[in-house]
Parts: sequence; structure tokens; C-alpha cells
Amino acid sequence: MMRFVRHHVLTAYAALALAYLFLPIVIVVAFSFNNPAGRFNYTWQGFTFANWTNPFGYPGLSGALKVSVEIALLSALFATALGTLIALALVRYSFRGSATTNLLIFIPMTTPEVVMGASLLTLFLNWKIPQGFGTILIAHILFNISYVVVTVRARLVGFDRHLEEAAMDLGANELVTFWRVTLPLIMPGILAAGLLAFALSIDDFVITYFNAGATTTFPLFVWGAARVALPAQINVIGTAIFVIAVAGMLANIFVQNLRTRKGAVAA
Amino acid sequence: MTQSLTRDELLRRGLAGGAFLTLPGLLAACGGSSAKKATSTTAAAQTLPRTITFSNWPLYLDIDEKTKTHPTLVAFQKRYGVKVKYLEDINDNDTFFGKIEGPLSQGQKIGRDLIVLTDSSGLPGRMIDLGWLEKLDKSALPNIKNLQPTQAHPAWDPNRDYSLPWQSGMTGIGYDPKLVGGDITSVDDLLTNPKLKGKITLLTERADTIGLVMAANGDDPSHVTDATFNKAVAKIQKAVKSGQVRQFTGNDYAPLLAKGDIYACFAWSGDMVQLQADHPGLKWVLPDSGGMIWTDNMLIPKGGNAYAASVLMNWYYRPEIAAQVEDYVNYICPVVGADKVLLKTDPAVAKNPLIFPTKAMLANVHQFDAKALNNTDYTKKFQHLIGG
Amino acid sequence: MRRRFHRPKGAIPYLLLSPGMGWLLVFFVVPMWYLAKTSLSSGLFPLFSFDWSFGNFSDSISQYQSQFIRSGEYAAIATAIALAVSYPLAYWIAFRGGRWKNLFLLLVIAPFFVTYLIRTLAWETILSDNGLVVRLLRDVGLVAPGGRVLATSAAVIAGITYNFLPFMVLPLYVSLEQIDHRLIEAATDLYASKPKAFMRITLPLSLPGVFAGVLLTFIPAAGDFINAQLLGTPRQYMIGNVIQSEFLSVRDYPTAASLSFVLMAAILVLVLIFARILGTDRLTVSA
Repeated sequence: MMRFVRHHVLTAYAALALAYLFLPIVIVVAFSFNNPAGRFNYTWQGFTFANWTNPFGYPGLSGALKVSVEIALLSALFATALGTLIALALVRYSFRGSATTNLLIFIPMTTPEVVMGASLLTLFLNWKIPQGFGTILIAHILFNISYVVVTVRARLVGFDRHLEEAAMDLGANELVTFWRVTLPLIMPGILAAGLLAFALSIDDFVITYFNAGATTTFPLFVWGAARVALPAQINVIGTAIFVIAVAGMLANIFVQNLRTRKGAVAA
Repeated sequence: MTQSLTRDELLRRGLAGGAFLTLPGLLAACGGSSAKKATSTTAAAQTLPRTITFSNWPLYLDIDEKTKTHPTLVAFQKRYGVKVKYLEDINDNDTFFGKIEGPLSQGQKIGRDLIVLTDSSGLPGRMIDLGWLEKLDKSALPNIKNLQPTQAHPAWDPNRDYSLPWQSGMTGIGYDPKLVGGDITSVDDLLTNPKLKGKITLLTERADTIGLVMAANGDDPSHVTDATFNKAVAKIQKAVKSGQVRQFTGNDYAPLLAKGDIYACFAWSGDMVQLQADHPGLKWVLPDSGGMIWTDNMLIPKGGNAYAASVLMNWYYRPEIAAQVEDYVNYICPVVGADKVLLKTDPAVAKNPLIFPTKAMLANVHQFDAKALNNTDYTKKFQHLIGG
Repeated sequence: MRRRFHRPKGAIPYLLLSPGMGWLLVFFVVPMWYLAKTSLSSGLFPLFSFDWSFGNFSDSISQYQSQFIRSGEYAAIATAIALAVSYPLAYWIAFRGGRWKNLFLLLVIAPFFVTYLIRTLAWETILSDNGLVVRLLRDVGLVAPGGRVLATSAAVIAGITYNFLPFMVLPLYVSLEQIDHRLIEAATDLYASKPKAFMRITLPLSLPGVFAGVLLTFIPAAGDFINAQLLGTPRQYMIGNVIQSEFLSVRDYPTAASLSFVLMAAILVLVLIFARILGTDRLTVSA
């Protein structure tokens, strides 16, 4: 009995932690079915499916969402690539300037958003770069790089080099070793870093605002709208993205399962 | 009427008159656009660009939820054969200004022909002083005569050379009579009543908060002096220290009031209209000592097409168009005659004093001293007060 | 454990570094240079003149001391709580997650798909003065009768913690997932109890993740302003709020710039102390 409890204490704790993470989301989902008479969505007024049947009822909302997702995907991709390379260099090699590089990775994280956003805008103005999708992307890749480096580095530090040694002993050159041995093993770290970068990007407001020009992202739209209204459609869209992402991940896992099972059968 | 039709024909680019049928019969009345001035030759000589870029606050224009378009804008585009790029990217005066001051200070365009900023932020006045605004092309603005007389001569733009109101709002006291246990009519009551300890909020908008307290002190918010300013700050400081004031908010007082986490607050008229739709028990009043009125103004940034922007402004000063916008936005309409139009189509809105305030109400509101708004010392003092 | 890997030198590290660091150099260092000049300027908007006014820095520190200290406190407390909540969760996902690991990682960041404002409004609903949660807390005695949770330091810290949880969970997971389970098996085979195996094997091996997570949480939390603005009273305002208002409302760019640099320097100093305590070599360079 005690062993059962002890074994499951961790699971219970993890479940509680996840519940804590999702507590406000439950409210958000619930309120996506709310039916307020006014334009705010603060108190429960009644149940309705109307918001779900008309999720894009506010012009500008869907466009803003599309921009946000695109930028998040692209900036996560690029930042993860650039950041992983930096992490590899910092952990695997000793070179002159590594201390400065380390410092330069940390400093952007310490910079207040309003300052980073505004100073970046000044740069774009001085160099006559028009603000819009491109400048938002540049800004997001910028602040994401540091987070990727720190995350991937945590993975690289504990990495068992013996596996690489073994591969090289068996005749693989450095590049092949990297591609077939190192990369797959650090992939969870890269994936986690990518997720982090995606989350940072899709929720960013201040830096984006300064460098968006005339483009609108989802957070920008919501913050702006909040002065006058908070349509339940915002809740609908947030819920929908979450559901789609989870469904996508589940499908991926399902496909992987099939593959391993087929592989096992074939072997 | 014939004269105005001729002018309109010249402005249009060969589109059929089908557009007239989209606004139910009202355009037939040619509401208010008959200009008998001799400036028609100037207007005729100019043509509109392909696109006009209009930056506004979100949800500040009529929306048809089914077609997901802005009907008044669609009608304008059809009528004049011009595309309007409508951006809803202004969500805070200071932040938006922080974004555009860079290019403007270097003499660059900001890619917009029309923007909307609030007078109580001090920024429209500031932009005029800095020379960052184009003058209105009054030859294209005959409907300017429909402007509410009380709005005709603001201190910071006495001849309306650079600006035209889009919507106004009043700041007063919003409260829940059940939780307060009665009515509140004075700012002092709000700030000192022990029953309200920790249950009130004030606004982060310094013109509104300082202005209301100054009025309660018997001082005139439109003529600020060091003494009167400091007196107001001291009073608020006392209320903050004692824990009377729970928070300083933007319009995030609304959920708190709706849920009963606060009993009373400084609140904006437009918000209350929305809150009252779901919570009819909530009340909003102008304090006895007077409320504040603020106006979101249409401005033409330097480099914008003044003529095109003026034509667009003119469109929105037709009473029937203003009525359409008002029916959705529900703040205070600056266009004379819109309420008469709404009496037929949506009487509830037309009779709502929060949307069409009575003369008595309009006599009991103040505007904040425009010069004081741009005084750095005052701004710093206020920011220290609210914790920033 | 000794490794016989030599540390290769040469051009490779610079090649790896150049795209990313190039990006940082162009889009971060250059703007920071302009910012540095602004911090040493004086004047009123919009006319600022560069005149080596180092006084801006001393003024900033003396005027806003309490906000600086408060920011450090709130960030530290939030980081500690985040660590306590996240470590078991990351451990569970890494060790017990099985083939669903990636799904759980996704779930950890999923709340970010709903924008900050909407999440915070949801918290304001949950923690409403008359809501279930607060009434329960009053019954239990954690909240004074007639007291509230919103608009207090607790609410601000809770908001910061919640907002940065994924930043703690993900690096922790990354480090934990890598630990060879055979090491733990070996320890228990050698008669170590489960807790002992954890303390002597797992925990030390996960320190790089702890280090990373603490950094990714503390550093941005110290500069946060939005949680204090929405969930706090003026007494909770952090240095981020001051910088925000100096920049946008007062438009005193020299003060805002100097405050930013002081903040950045303070955070870096704290990070260095923390790294020294933990012993950075083990955490940032593979042996």
C-alpha cells in the first residue's frame, strides 16, 4: 500500500502541476461559450454555440492570428538553428572570445522589452528598413536566440561523448557522426528550445508593437481591442489553436507508434 | 443639391450610382454635403490617390458581423472609387506615439494618411507644436459645419486647422449601488468613505484622474497651476497610502466592477454602456463637481495625403454615416444630427445619455489644460504617484 | 568521469558562431550602442544632447532603489516557486512520460497560445474576491477575513511564476531526459535507497538544467512590468514599470536608458554570483 502511494506521489504531483497550468485555460474555454449582451466577456451570462459558429466574426482577428502563427513558426525555426550552432560552439570548443560570447548571449535576456523594442525600431529607421512582417521576424529571432542557446546548452553539457567516440572509432567522420549520432541524441533539447521560442514569439507584445509597422499580430489585436471590447471569439481562437496543436501531436505519436510496430513486425 | 452632385461626380471615378442604394434611402437626402462655397474649383482640381491608409483604435468602426466588413467604409470606397487600408493598430496613445515619433522626427513619412489620438494625452497638441501634422484641407470638408459647437474651439487647436473629433467620451464615477449601499455623487466620497476602503480604483490616465480630483477641490482643470496640481496629487496620495485605492487601471476596472471586486471607480462612459448591457444595475454619473471629457481626434500626420484624408473625414461627418458608426461604437458622437437619424433606426441608442449627453451634462464636464499635459514635471509626479 | 576527447581549435567554432552572433551583433549590439549614448544624454523630449551625464546613473539608482530591490525579491521568489513546481513535473515527463513525452511538453507551453491578457483575466476571475478559491482560502485562514488575493504582492508573484513556468520546465526536462537510467539502476543495485540515488546521481546530473531554468526564469522576471500593472497596487510596482513609464509616458529617454543599463548590470552581477556558487564550469562546458 505504502509502495503504491510512494510510487504514485510523483504522478499526483505532476498531475497537480499540470492542473495548475491549465486552471485558467479551463476558464478561457468555458468563456468561449459565454453569451454576453455587451461587448465584454467578463461574467457568465449564458451558454451559446454562436461564438464557435462564427469564430472570425471580427475582421482583422483571423488575419492577425495568421501573422502570429507564421512568425512564431519561422522565428522558432531560425532561432533554433542559429542558437543550436552557438551552443555547440560554446560547449564543444574552447576559443578566444568565449567569455564575451557568453556575456553577449545573456545580455539580451536582461534587456527590458520596451527598451529592446524601441532601440531596434531606431535601428530600422536609421537604416531605412520598412517596418512590417520582416522587421517583426527579425526582432523575434533576435530575442529567441538567447533562450535557445541556454536550453540546448543544458542538453549538450550532459551529453555522453563516448557515443561519438565509438562512432568515429568505427570509421565515421565528424560530419556523419554529428548527423547520425549527436543530432538525434540532442534532438529533445532542440525540440524543447524550439517550443520555447514558439511560445515566446506567439505571445510577444511590446517588442512586436514597436517594430510591426502596419502589421498586426494576435496579441497586438487583443490588447488593442481590450480597450473597447473583448469578444468571446478570442477565447474560441485560443482554444482552437490549442486543440489543433494537441490533436496534431497526438496524430504524430499515433503515426510513430504504427511505424515502430511495423518495424518490430518486419524485423 | 445639383452643385454637390456635380462635385461628387468629379470626385468619383466612373462608378455607377448603385452605391446610393446601399444606405437605405438616406443618401438620397444628400445629407449635409451641399457646399455652396466657391472652393469647388479647388476640390475639382485635385484627384484622390489609389489608397488611403487610416489608422484607428480597434473596434472603433461599425462592423457587419456576417460579412465581416465595415459598411460605412465599404460605402465610401464604392462612392469615391478609392481603396481604404484600415488598420486597427492604435491601442495606446503613448505607445503609438513612441512608434511614430522616430520617423516623424527625421522628416520621414509614417505610411498613414489619417490617425486617431486622444486629446487628453497631450499628443495632438504636441504634434502640432512639433510641426508633425498636415493641415486639414477645409475645401474638401464642407461637413465640418456639422461639428458639435462645444467641440469647435479646443485650446490646443482653436480653429480646428489640424484635427477633427472622431468620438468623445466622458469620465465619471461608475459604481454598483447595491455594494456601495446607495449612490455616490462626489469624488471626495469615493476617496474617503471607509465603506469603500480597498474597493475603488482610479485611472492611469492622468488627465482624467488629476482632473476629476482637481474639480473636486474646487480648482479648474483647464487652468492648471503648480499649487492646484500638487493639491490634487496630495489628496490622491493620501487615499493610496490609506489603502483606499485598490489599483490604478486602464479600462481593466471593468471586469473588477462587473465581478464586484470593486464597488466604485473612475470610469469611461463608453465602457459603462457595454457593462450595463450585462449588468443593468451598474450606474454611472458625473460627479457633482464635474466630470472630464476627452476626445479622440482624427489627425493627418506629416507626409499623409491631406486632401484624401479630408475627404474621408468629410464622409464621416455626414449625420447618417456618423449615425451608423455611433450605433456600433456607442461612445459620444461629435456630429450634429446623428441622434435624429438614430431616433428612427435605433431609438435606444439615441436616447442613451451616455451616448448623446444632455446639455446639462455637457455643461458639467471639463477638459484638461493642454499645456499642463506636456509638462514633464507634472507627468513625473503623477507617475511616481501611481508607482511607475 | 574523465573523457579523452581533446578540445579542437581552429576555425570551426567561429564558423558555428558567426550566423547567430552576427545576428546579435547587428540587431542587438548596434541598438545598444545608441542606447548607451542616450543614457549619457540629457534634455527634454524631443531634444536630447549627448553630454556624458553620468549623473543619470547615480540618480536612477538612488531614486528607484526600492523598485530595484523589490524586482529582485519578486523574481527570486517566483523562480524558487517555479523550480519547486517544475522539477517534479519535468522529472515525471522525462522518466515516466514514455512515448507521450512530446505531448506533455506541448501541454506545458499550450497556455501561451492564449494571449497573456486573456490568461490573466481568467486568473482574475478565479481569484476574484468573492470567488470560490478566495472564500476557501479565507475559511482555511490563509487569507485574512475581508482580505483579498488580487492586488497584493502574492498576486503579482503568482502571476510572474505562472507566466514563466514553461521556461523552467523545458530546460529541466532537457537535462533530466538525458540521464542514463542505468546509472540509477547501478546505484540501487549497490544498495542505495531511491532517495539517495536521486540525491547522488539524478540531482547532480540535472544541475545544468536547473541552472538554465533558473536563468531563463529569473532574468526576464526581474524586468517584468505587466504582472505588477494588472495584478498589483502602486506598492508592488517593479523597476520594469518605472522604465516603461519613463520611456513611454514621461518620454525621458536618458533616464529610461540609464535605468535599463543599471537593471541589466544588476541582473548580470546576480547571475555571475549564482554561477559562481554552483560552479559554472560544470554547467556550461562539457568536460
